[in-house]
Amino acid sequence: MSDKPNKLIENGKRLDGRNLDELRPIKMEVGVLKRADGSCYMELGGNKAIAAVYGPREVHPRHLQEATQVIIRYRYDMASFSVKERKRPGPDRRSIEISKVSREALAPVILKEYFPRSVIDIFVEILQADAGTRTVGINASSVALADAGIPMRGIVSSCAVGKVDGEIVLDLTGQEDNYGDADMPIAMTQDGKITLLQMDGNLTKEEFARAIELAKKGCKQIYEVQRSALISKYEGVSNV
Amino acid sequence: MSKINENFAIPGDFLGTSEEFLSTNGTYKDKGNIYAACTGIVKIDTKDRSISVVPQTGMPPIPKVGDIVVGRVSDIKSSVVLVDIARIKGQEDREIATLKQGAIHISNIKDAYVKELGYEFGFQDIVRAKVIDDKTLRLSTDNKSLGVIKAICSRCRVGLKRKDDKLECPKCGRIETRKIADDYGSGSI
Repeated sequence: MSDKPNKLIENGKRLDGRNLDELRPIKMEVGVLKRADGSCYMELGGNKAIAAVYGPREVHPRHLQEATQVIIRYRYDMASFSVKERKRPGPDRRSIEISKVSREALAPVILKEYFPRSVIDIFVEILQADAGTRTVGINASSVALADAGIPMRGIVSSCAVGKVDGEIVLDLTGQEDNYGDADMPIAMTQDGKITLLQMDGNLTKEEFARAIELAKKGCKQIYEVQRSALISKYEGVSNV
Repeated sequence: MSKINENFAIPGDFLGTSEEFLSTNGTYKDKGNIYAACTGIVKIDTKDRSISVVPQTGMPPIPKVGDIVVGRVSDIKSSVVLVDIARIKGQEDREIATLKQGAIHISNIKDAYVKELGYEFGFQDIVRAKVIDDKTLRLSTDNKSLGVIKAICSRCRVGLKRKDDKLECPKCGRIETRKIADDYGSGSI
């Protein structure tokens, strides 16, 4: 990784020129994969991720199926070329944990009782990583679920907040994550119900409260991007 | 069509309250409020005060009454044939989201007396049928275009060729009977 810079914040601006409460530039595209039932590509600064949704479909192995509701499987995977040092491909301890928390971040919004004895498979592939990949994965897969036509209570939006040089900042970069004091990814529905909250590092009670407020602001901006991505893809189409 | 207001919604959009509207397809109710559950155009029917979202995305296929389905015979009982449904016609590129096993009762096979099911269907036959009940997935083949579209010889497992209104095995010459669809063996589903 790059050497530690002397200061991560100078004159209220961060190393990449952003304000403390500013997200990195976002790009989002819906329906990028033809073979998947729903898909979404998302860029957040240096992060590039693609999400694909299959199903609801038959559960294999059979014993996993549930008689009253659909089960959800989420696979987070980083491409071997997504980081500076080649990552050994395949699931590891970290990606298994991220898959688990991401699945639990999305599960509450899916209307699961509509499709008993079935499974919804979500695959997230990180093509390029620069801190906050799990939030990108959640954002993209939540739009991919909507693209697949799966009935949902709402859209999940996610972003990270953290503490860098003693300041609470939104959407940390790789450098800020490595040399900062805290990193806290948060996912929430558009009405502000939190479905994911993890924290690495230390925050005081007051800092934590400020961080949550900042994350809410960030998620709101991401929600608007998700919304316009879905609308621009489907508004023109007429299936009536 | 009655008077209808149009605008676009994505999941979670607030549409109205349950005092105002009857929540129907593509919506859900939470604490008396109605929200969109899928991505599409909001339709308000002012006649029966119902609100729905007409999805513009692809939707998970669910068999509805009147749908034509294609499947394979998985079991033949004394008065019912069980069919593993593979696809709904018109939505061939996506797997069925829920129940996949349908049943054809002996009374719904054709408009004639059926003495025994073995004369109408064979194990592993490919069948085209119409859904007549989407709760329990009861199917019917009572139509010229419905019935077996591909069958195999019960003795040597070779695909049967059509010979008038019966089927003949090209290998052993065995003659079998089926409730065949009018385009049997054409390969189209």
